[in-house]
Amino acid sequence: MSGWDIRVEDIRYAYGDVEALRGISLEIRAGESVALIGRNGAGKTTLTRALVALNRPAAGRVAVGDWDVAARRPDEMARRIGYVFQHADQQLFARTVREDVSFGPRRLGRRGPVDAVLGELSLAPYADTHPYDVPGPLRKLVALAGVLAMEPGALILDEPTAGLDRVQRALVARALRRRSEAGVTLLVVSHDLGFVAEVAERVVVMERGRIVADRPARDFLYDTEVLGALELRPPATVEIGLALKLPGAPVRSEEVTAAMKGVKWKEYAG
Amino acid sequence: MTPRVTLTGVTFTYPGGVRPAVRGLSMEVAAGEIVAVAGAAGAGASTLLLVATGLAPRLVGGSLAGERAIGARRSGIVFARPWTQLTGLCSTVRDEVAFGPAAAGRPLAEVAAAASRALHRLGIAHLAERDPAHLSGGELQRVVVAAALALEPELLALDDPAAELDPTAADALYALMPSLAADGAAVLLATPDVERAARVATRALVLEEGVIVADGRPGDVLPPTEVGALARAAGCPAPYPLDVPALLGRLTPDAGRRAHDTTDGPPAGSGPSTSGTAR
Repeated sequence: MSGWDIRVEDIRYAYGDVEALRGISLEIRAGESVALIGRNGAGKTTLTRALVALNRPAAGRVAVGDWDVAARRPDEMARRIGYVFQHADQQLFARTVREDVSFGPRRLGRRGPVDAVLGELSLAPYADTHPYDVPGPLRKLVALAGVLAMEPGALILDEPTAGLDRVQRALVARALRRRSEAGVTLLVVSHDLGFVAEVAERVVVMERGRIVADRPARDFLYDTEVLGALELRPPATVEIGLALKLPGAPVRSEEVTAAMKGVKWKEYAG
Repeated sequence: MTPRVTLTGVTFTYPGGVRPAVRGLSMEVAAGEIVAVAGAAGAGASTLLLVATGLAPRLVGGSLAGERAIGARRSGIVFARPWTQLTGLCSTVRDEVAFGPAAAGRPLAEVAAAASRALHRLGIAHLAERDPAHLSGGELQRVVVAAALALEPELLALDDPAAELDPTAADALYALMPSLAADGAAVLLATPDVERAARVATRALVLEEGVIVADGRPGDVLPPTEVGALARAAGCPAPYPLDVPALLGRLTPDAGRRAHDTTDGPPAGSGPSTSGTAR
């Protein structure tokens, strides 16, 4: 699958007199996996919504592949970018989970890998359940399944792991890595640096409507000085990597467990 | 002192539900306790919060069997999806936070003071004149928590209250809980964030399919954290550490050397554990 490149040139956006985006420029290559992080209110969600025509910047330009987003409607953008809202309940509407997940591909005139995606996200037991009878945290997975079933060339996910437990987070990380390896462009908004470590190759940091850092994920997550300045702690995997001076600067769980091979453990002393 | 809430054999079924969401709940929560409620999605943690605060069935309908005694004179709840909790009537954050105590008929001066205290406790005084409709998800979540605190509840139920917060704001919110408990509130906290919950909870309950299957010290009963799972995968024997300092404390002094088979790293895990260990 070929991904879409995303180009943002000096965009500005305001809510009334509150400036949310103050001249953002960003280029994401096709197939790249990027995490967008920053404090609450930094403008992350506002930026991602501009990429799918859900808001219209007052200045600047956004392009996805050869499309100028200003000339497109949100439903057209959905053909190129699968977008999962921060509040994913807002994008569920069908009477069953299966119908909801099937809706997107059907609009594209395809069947889509609906059952495969439901299985991948452990949603098969809920296939015939009304989306609002699915436990709250899992509704986010239903919305994610809906966009994955459309097989878009780019995915934008706003806080995809909020409310999810460790096992569900790992499911999402695995699903995203598979898409990324298949060439899908990935932009993930997240406060969860552990999750960022699992899925992103690049990290972009926003503060007060501006981009203040843009680095390869591994460099960024091991730069404790920059993390400290942003009031962030490294993810647990990196803390372990730093404490044990593990080779290769591992960031993913599986990299850390592989690098820890051979360590000796003490019995718990109470 | 009267417990803030006592449940004895409580079973609750949602309207139209084919089976109960929670069954045979028996528990007591006292002033000053912070009780973490854990369980897989759908296990009944959110429902337990609704039942304990009296909102089920009063607000959501359904049927309740068993005995429930709510000793708290005021209770507050923060839902897992905070945007559903806005009044829709207020054009500023300050009014939104003040709405609860004002609706309870408290004198205006007290309402203003309670709202102001809550805004400061959540670190959102700078948002006071903003329109709630224009806030980010994380800002909104803090507004909803502040609105619950403005009620000065004796029983506070928090359903994944930091899900949308940045790490600094999430740490600050969790750090606030012990001071609320010290002021006499009982806090019920449902969250998948086991690591943060274990840091502040005085006790933990674990639910499976609507039934309490464990009730004890957080370190003993909460499921493994991210770090615990990693330690287990790397061969650590149970019980698994909750956090990185505890993991390092479980390693032999030459663990760093063994990990990369060189001698250029300092020995790891030579210090004592500074934190807890879970199952």
